[in-house]
Amino acid sequence: MKKMTEAQLAELETDLNAIRDEVIADLGERDARYIRRMVRLHRSLEAGGRIMMPFGFLPPVFVAATATLGIAKILENMEVGHNVMHGQYDWMNDPSLHSQTYEWDTVCTGDSWRRTHNYEHHTYTNIIGKDRDYGYAVLRLTDDEPWKPWHALQFINYILLSVFFQWGVGLHELETEKLRSREISWREKLPFLKEFARKGGRQAFKDYVFFPLLTFPVAPIVLAGNVGANLIRNLWSSTVIFCGHFTQDAETFTEEECEGESKGHWYLRQLTGSSNFTGGRWMHILSGHLSYQVEHHVFPDLPAHRYPEISGKVQAVCRKHGIHYNTGSFLKQYGTVVKRILRHSLPERLTGDATTA
Amino acid sequence: MLARHTQHKALQWLGRQLFNRNDPEAFFDPLIERINPMWVQEYTPARVEQILSETRDTKTLVLKPARRWSGFRAGQHVNICVEVDGIRRNRTFSLSSSPLLWQEQGRVTLTIKRLPGGLVTNWLHDHLQTGAVIGLGEAFGDFQTPEPAQPVLFIAGGSGITPVLSQLETMAALDYRAPVTLLYFVRTSDDVIAREKLLALETRYSALTLNIIATNESKEPRYLRDQDLDAVPGIKARQVYLCGPKGLMDLAQDLLYKRGFADSDIHSTFFSAASANLDNETLGGQVQFEGSQLEVDSEGNATLLEIAEAAGLTPRHGCRMGICHQCSCRKTTGTVINRLTGKASGPGDENIQLCISVPRGPVSLDL
Repeated sequence: MKKMTEAQLAELETDLNAIRDEVIADLGERDARYIRRMVRLHRSLEAGGRIMMPFGFLPPVFVAATATLGIAKILENMEVGHNVMHGQYDWMNDPSLHSQTYEWDTVCTGDSWRRTHNYEHHTYTNIIGKDRDYGYAVLRLTDDEPWKPWHALQFINYILLSVFFQWGVGLHELETEKLRSREISWREKLPFLKEFARKGGRQAFKDYVFFPLLTFPVAPIVLAGNVGANLIRNLWSSTVIFCGHFTQDAETFTEEECEGESKGHWYLRQLTGSSNFTGGRWMHILSGHLSYQVEHHVFPDLPAHRYPEISGKVQAVCRKHGIHYNTGSFLKQYGTVVKRILRHSLPERLTGDATTA
Repeated sequence: MLARHTQHKALQWLGRQLFNRNDPEAFFDPLIERINPMWVQEYTPARVEQILSETRDTKTLVLKPARRWSGFRAGQHVNICVEVDGIRRNRTFSLSSSPLLWQEQGRVTLTIKRLPGGLVTNWLHDHLQTGAVIGLGEAFGDFQTPEPAQPVLFIAGGSGITPVLSQLETMAALDYRAPVTLLYFVRTSDDVIAREKLLALETRYSALTLNIIATNESKEPRYLRDQDLDAVPGIKARQVYLCGPKGLMDLAQDLLYKRGFADSDIHSTFFSAASANLDNETLGGQVQFEGSQLEVDSEGNATLLEIAEAAGLTPRHGCRMGICHQCSCRKTTGTVINRLTGKASGPGDENIQLCISVPRGPVSLDL
């Protein structure tokens, strides 16, 4: 990581705080209107998809219904759920948009997500050994992590993780790696497993039992469409998230260098550990503005639709402090993710490239 | 706070399965709101039918709540919810109409005085339009006249008249058979709220004696004095109801105690006074954890998270630096200062982050 003195870090903190304060002071009706519009769009898409699905015996309708429901789930998970649970709209004082009570349309419970994502991942971002999102304990993405033979097949793991992403995220807090090493016991994880079963059961019941049965004569079509919609969401959300931290230049950190860190250092870690991708307006909306992962990590609780507006200022701060602002086209960034997964399938001595972290 | 809880267990269960929420009927509110805001299910909507000017700084809102609203008893209050610049603000006001108006016409009224610096009252006065829909909570409060009838004395000041208006209307309509006296203190005679209504009540309801006293029209302020109480026939046997600014309430209580009144014969209702002088404010204050039924005192710039932990509570939290919102919690009353920005919160019901909020005066938390 770029080395900065404490004085420089303090200046970085002041510069970024100024951007944040300006947005906070301006929060108001425009932001409320934006998120409500997104919620309304989600409701329309969800209703539309569900209503069209039974008519999926006509192939074009099947495609349209599956895509509509898939996009509804993406919009709800990424632009509404993820962002609301970050507390981006708590200031609105609207109980249906409150970070601590929001429950989203995916297997992972809101409570589990708030612990593993909002707290662990956003506080300990990219610290190997503390940020369990870094590789999700199934992928080796840095040479700081010792190579083991099963890493050779990690690309298969990656594909499986993407396909079943909502279940992977749902089980993230199980901490299987710690269970395997007997650091923690299954008994300790019982309350979590209960919650997981309840929410996972609910999601499966809705998409794979209730709606198919409701439309009994065409149940297989509705089932297939619902599976498809979940798959679309799984693949897209995992891809967006992988592009946020696992691109070529996204840095990792050790526990030692982050011990007792200042807010300025935390900012630096967020700036260098995250990566953006470019795209059109709807690309950003459907990624929940995680295409502005850098801005999101620096200001996780600012309404996400503000990230494009402040991106220029964040880039200017990066230039001023000589910090690399990691961005590129979606395809370029995703390409480096795939390369990184493949490269670290093999031990360091075989890839022979010690410079990439 | 304005949420309604459906009683249908099966519906709740299905709602959780399909929509991941306990109030499935509210899932489609964002769409329904577009068609007719009075069909919203998340809270009880009420349409503003009329806005009447009472005095230069007081207006009466005539509201038509959705039929599912449960109604109220005279003297009760409600929380209303309005959205001001994207933020939902909840405030409590007394209902100024008689429950009979609700029963007969489905209407209620709120009489609201503009408070200096008050965010919501000023917004209501300046921006609320006829036809708008606001949120209405269920009525609460026990500022109620005795049943069966007993002699009553109301002492009201300023906009503290509002619950009394509701009481008097109701008593007149039911022909409450006992002497009723109202001592109504106003700054000047221009500040009398609902003057016509009061005079009409005095004419048609013979049990009522009305005494309107202007405090600031003479050189010396003319406050409540012992002679005012002497002039009330059979004062000893009266049940006394107080509603007004703190100065009047304290003075009245004092005079009544001296006359040997027991606490059980004095009924007072809260009245939101104008905000206190900020210069004299110091940080810290009594913190009430409502869910845990615990009250502790705090001093200095200790955050609510620290105060809660010192009190033995273990609120959910994460980063302790205002990032992760794990510790977001509902504040029901009181003002807090954001330690990061130095800004003060509003006094009402809202979400705050415990780890960066410092109480300024008494604070109640839903924790």
